[in-house]
Amino acid sequence: MGRLVLHRLAATVPVLLLVTLGVFALLHLTPGDPIDTMMAESADPAVKAHLRRELGLDRPIYIQYLHWMARVVRGDLGRSIRNGEPVIENVGRRLRPSLQLALLAMTVSVLIAFPVGIVSAVRQNTAADRVGTTFALFGICMPNFLLALLLIFVFGVTLRWLPISGYVDPLEEGWEGLRSLVLPACTLGLALAAVITRTLRSSLLEALGEDYVRTARAKGLSEWSVICGHVLKNAMIPVVTVLGLQLGTLVGGAVITEYVFALPGVGRLVVDAVFARDYPLVQGVILLIAVGFIVSNLLVDLLYGWLDPRIRAR
Amino acid sequence: MAGSIPASEPAERRWRALRRAARTRLAPFGALVLLAAVTMAVGAPVVSPHDPLKQNLDNTLARPGRTHVLGTDNVGRDVLSRVIWGTRISLLAGIVSVALAAAVGSVLGLVAGYAGGRVDGLVMRAMDAVLSFPPLVLALALGAVLGAGLTGVLLALGVVYTPTFARLMRGQVLSITARDYVDAARALGAPGWRIACRHVVPNAAVPIVVQASLSVAFAILAEASLSFLGLGIQPPQASWGSMINAGRGYLQQAPWIVFGPGVALFVTVVGLNFVGDAVRDALDPRLTR
Repeated sequence: MGRLVLHRLAATVPVLLLVTLGVFALLHLTPGDPIDTMMAESADPAVKAHLRRELGLDRPIYIQYLHWMARVVRGDLGRSIRNGEPVIENVGRRLRPSLQLALLAMTVSVLIAFPVGIVSAVRQNTAADRVGTTFALFGICMPNFLLALLLIFVFGVTLRWLPISGYVDPLEEGWEGLRSLVLPACTLGLALAAVITRTLRSSLLEALGEDYVRTARAKGLSEWSVICGHVLKNAMIPVVTVLGLQLGTLVGGAVITEYVFALPGVGRLVVDAVFARDYPLVQGVILLIAVGFIVSNLLVDLLYGWLDPRIRAR
Repeated sequence: MAGSIPASEPAERRWRALRRAARTRLAPFGALVLLAAVTMAVGAPVVSPHDPLKQNLDNTLARPGRTHVLGTDNVGRDVLSRVIWGTRISLLAGIVSVALAAAVGSVLGLVAGYAGGRVDGLVMRAMDAVLSFPPLVLALALGAVLGAGLTGVLLALGVVYTPTFARLMRGQVLSITARDYVDAARALGAPGWRIACRHVVPNAAVPIVVQASLSVAFAILAEASLSFLGLGIQPPQASWGSMINAGRGYLQQAPWIVFGPGVALFVTVVGLNFVGDAVRDALDPRLTR
């Protein structure tokens, strides 16, 4: 296991370096002068010159990169042009709603995907299976923003059961907070549930055909014990991998979901920063998201190795 | 007789592939949707009942009816006409961005797989770096620096999908170059570029085509997402994503503004998924799950 950890960590370093290079290059991909793009044409030339100096744009590009990296390594991702606050503080403030949303969405997806996936696999080629696979297809093909609007239309506008936008912290106002996150979590969770359902069904079907399942049945175990005690455990490995790989979809989905439901999360921060042409903030947030994504993929890889001893042995 | 064998073999193979594709349960539905979408995209000026940009402030938020089958939007434009014109943008964005990614990714994968060593390491680590960004977030960031509009969207989505094709092509190159017929070509003194063009690329093309057909639907979804966020196609041009975004403020009074393009987007993506599955089953049955 130690060797696997070291190997994966070593493989992550060059990728991280290339990611920083890509994020740094973002500002320089801007057609024309980035300062002119960020600020209005009528802005005071002195202010423009100050910003140019502050961002180091008056230096050779490799020096700019080295300076930027030196700051990044110290945890200084620069300051937002809009509010002048450090990027880290901007992100820190927005982290809580995003994490709450991700956690709830994951819960929703697991609560839906496991029963649907298990029933679909156990009752293969029946009406229940067809409903399950249709749900999976529906979830995969349905754009987040459309599902969000559909849920808003049904549960917010027509039935008036749930709030259609805004955020209340569930840690401060429990019930109201949860109510404000139900629709966003369902929007994000349903798409994820569809992918998990599909993976779980196919890996369960594969596991159900194994010899040890026949042995367990021959021993007289109930179908429930066979599924829960033997099959599910072995079918979990691809599901964990998919869950890890879907993290990107979750973050991408969160951008849309937070935008539609006006949640003050990190996804919404990205959209706001892009529209405000606040490039230091865009760079900082994108870098943090990419690093978070790399770290979570690394953890999933390690978890995969922990779950399956054959991976460790390789 | 001997002369007829080489001529009939490819035809027979194509026929078998087509039969395999048709056997996929939902392929006919997918093909029908694709056909309808292409017809609407190509024939939009003829099929569209009204001018998609023409505003009529006396007839805003009109319910679906005989004159306006899908109603009108907040400035009185015909929703159906805009949906039809939006098909053109969606298909264009889906097909061109995936073609771009397939072309660039295939070249990079070919170079990486063929050159090996440091070049391989550098190219593949760069692809890993691109994959380290959540796709929509990367597209959003690239869209921000490249500017809103169709070109920005096409380039951004092209970059997002490139690593998938590069990885696929590299894997194919590594597997194909280890085969006997490539060794034989080398032994006969064929130069590297000739081996690549005559033996590697044609044999690696099938998985690339399969992947491309499966990616188009997701590229269409991504374009719609970017347009929904305001970074894709800019108003007044019709795009499904931007139409849905414009209509969300009128969900209570005029839900048809959202649901017209929404249904078109959903049905197209489902249809293209079926077509992608059928192409996969036809060209590479081993990949069928």
